[in-house]
Amino acid sequence: MENSVSHALQILEEPIQYVCLTFMALMYATKIYLLMKKPGPPEKAELKGDRFAGALQSLANVMRPWSMESTRNHAYFYAEFVVFHIAVFLTIGATFLIPLVPGLMTPVVTKFFMVFMGLAFLIGVRRIYRRATDPRIRIISSPDDFFAITLMTVFFAVGFGALWLWNAGRPETGLMWVFFLMTTFFLLYVPFSKISHYVLYPFGRVMFGQIFGGRGVLNRHAR
Amino acid sequence: MADTAEKAHIKVVEAPKPAEETPKPEKHEKLGTQENRKWPVKPEFTPEMLAEMEKILPSKLNRIVATSLAGCIHCGMCSDACHYSVSIPEDKKLLPAYKADRFRKWYKYRYDWMAKVFPSFVGAQPLTKELADEMYDKLWGGCTMCRRCTFNCPMGVDYGMLTRAARGIMCQVGRVPKHLQDTIDTHYNSGNNMAVPQDEFVETIEWIEEELQDEDGCSDFKIPVDKKGAKYFLTLNPREPKYYPLTIQATAKVLNAAGVDFTISSRYWDLTNYAMFNGIDPDAKLFASWIADEVKRLDCEYLLSGECGHGYRGLRWELANWLGGVPFKITSAMELFARLIEEKRITLDKSAWKGHRFTYHDSCNIARSGGITEEPRIVIRAAVDDFVEMEHHGEHSFCCGGGGGALAMPEFSERRIASGKIKADEIRATGANVVLQSCHNCTDQLKEIVEHYHIDAKVMNLAELLAPALVL
Repeated sequence: MENSVSHALQILEEPIQYVCLTFMALMYATKIYLLMKKPGPPEKAELKGDRFAGALQSLANVMRPWSMESTRNHAYFYAEFVVFHIAVFLTIGATFLIPLVPGLMTPVVTKFFMVFMGLAFLIGVRRIYRRATDPRIRIISSPDDFFAITLMTVFFAVGFGALWLWNAGRPETGLMWVFFLMTTFFLLYVPFSKISHYVLYPFGRVMFGQIFGGRGVLNRHAR
Repeated sequence: MADTAEKAHIKVVEAPKPAEETPKPEKHEKLGTQENRKWPVKPEFTPEMLAEMEKILPSKLNRIVATSLAGCIHCGMCSDACHYSVSIPEDKKLLPAYKADRFRKWYKYRYDWMAKVFPSFVGAQPLTKELADEMYDKLWGGCTMCRRCTFNCPMGVDYGMLTRAARGIMCQVGRVPKHLQDTIDTHYNSGNNMAVPQDEFVETIEWIEEELQDEDGCSDFKIPVDKKGAKYFLTLNPREPKYYPLTIQATAKVLNAAGVDFTISSRYWDLTNYAMFNGIDPDAKLFASWIADEVKRLDCEYLLSGECGHGYRGLRWELANWLGGVPFKITSAMELFARLIEEKRITLDKSAWKGHRFTYHDSCNIARSGGITEEPRIVIRAAVDDFVEMEHHGEHSFCCGGGGGALAMPEFSERRIASGKIKADEIRATGANVVLQSCHNCTDQLKEIVEHYHIDAKVMNLAELLAPALVL
């Protein structure tokens, strides 16, 4: 069993993941190309502010919870968002570190990853509950919304379990195999799902920042 | 609308007296387009109209609209940002994300990769009559394009642009609120949206000038018409010559008191542009070009927007884009008033407003989409002692409910008034008995909600605040 898992894991960790990663990159490149082909917003009016500074501020919005009423008034929700997305970053990072530089995944590092994965799992469960029970969120939710958050939540749980076993001296386990299988699935699925929102994020934020930065609505104090 | 307006104008035409300096037009010039138009407004969507909408959709998808359609993650953070969903919480279908999804579902059906295989999975839907009807209801009658949700969206989804694109598509096939389109057709056919004839307009200005000159200390004040080389080209909202001539009088009084060199065109003076609301760009561009041509004809340095929310935004931020740039500067009455105060070109006596408490409503197009938030406060603080901000103000202000052409859609009036509850609550909380604003659509909506929600407050604009306080 250990041998078959080990062999399958090796294939999943390296060649398959690289193929899938290339596929995802191609899909994203296509998405961005299709978006950039569309006419951009012109701005020929005499500016009151700085479009570039506005774009930077807008991009950094994610780190400025005080800048939007929606995050200012929902600090707990924002904290969840931060932890969840750090966990996403770390979990994806783990899928690269484990096969490429396993030496970096020391017990301390692994535990650090696990803390975020565990918290993100709990947040995921709460977000699924919220989406299912809050009438304001349920009415705008599609099956993709439920599937995406469920998938992520399970991914964190599996990652947490796989790293637990890794720390226990069992790096090549069935759980690790599932973890990498899910990673592979993500690479193929994400470009088609709402999870790909992070590709659109910079475009939405930069355009927002350019418009309202140029009009002097953003960066008011800088003016 | 025009008939009622004509009646309201009786007083204006009773006492015309041409001023010596004002050249009266030789004859009644046909303004607007040469060929009159009546937009074919349809009572309901037909299969042919839906097919036509399918053809139009790609042309409306610029980078902002496409990103806004694809970028929503359904996080629900916009729920607390919208005056509709906050004022009418029992109707969950007024959440910004839900409303935008009426358009988004169709977009996804056409363009989303996953929707090609599993449309229901991503919430995609083909454009059916039912979906189009929902789009009509929510994007004409449930969104004022105020962009408050945009400012609270983590993804930067521009709901204003998205709604305007959807409206443009619906309008192009004839599904547009009739009164709104009538207003635009009137503008198209006569050069201003209330069909004020040129000679009647000039007579009105002359009459207002006489009234102004009758005020103490104003005997030499003028309202120059078609004065070439004036520094400022003042534009007006047609409601002013029709219903609120005192607003023109107040504005002219302030400008004269400060020695501002300004003029009004006898031809194209209407700063409104309701094509911003129905999403038809060629019309928006046409109306803007009339004003721009007049500024050039009269060789003015500045195009001066009167106190009008969407009119200001249209002239200041959109006109140059529609026309590819302009050879003159563009500013607003709010900015000019503030500058006159800061440069001490006018002196104000605060005792004129003693005993009144003021609050200021920021028009969405002036503040959030226009960047003017400080100037009105400079004006107000110079004129009054008792000024109280609403809980949400500046670019965070809630829409009053009168934006996006809502006042020209009587079929949605009940919802419009209901959506103004949050604004009414915030006005009441200030204890103010005067609500200031700088927009005629806001004026009308605020007057309605103040009455509807039983608030004892008067609604005024900034020129009306300044004029009585001027020390001449």
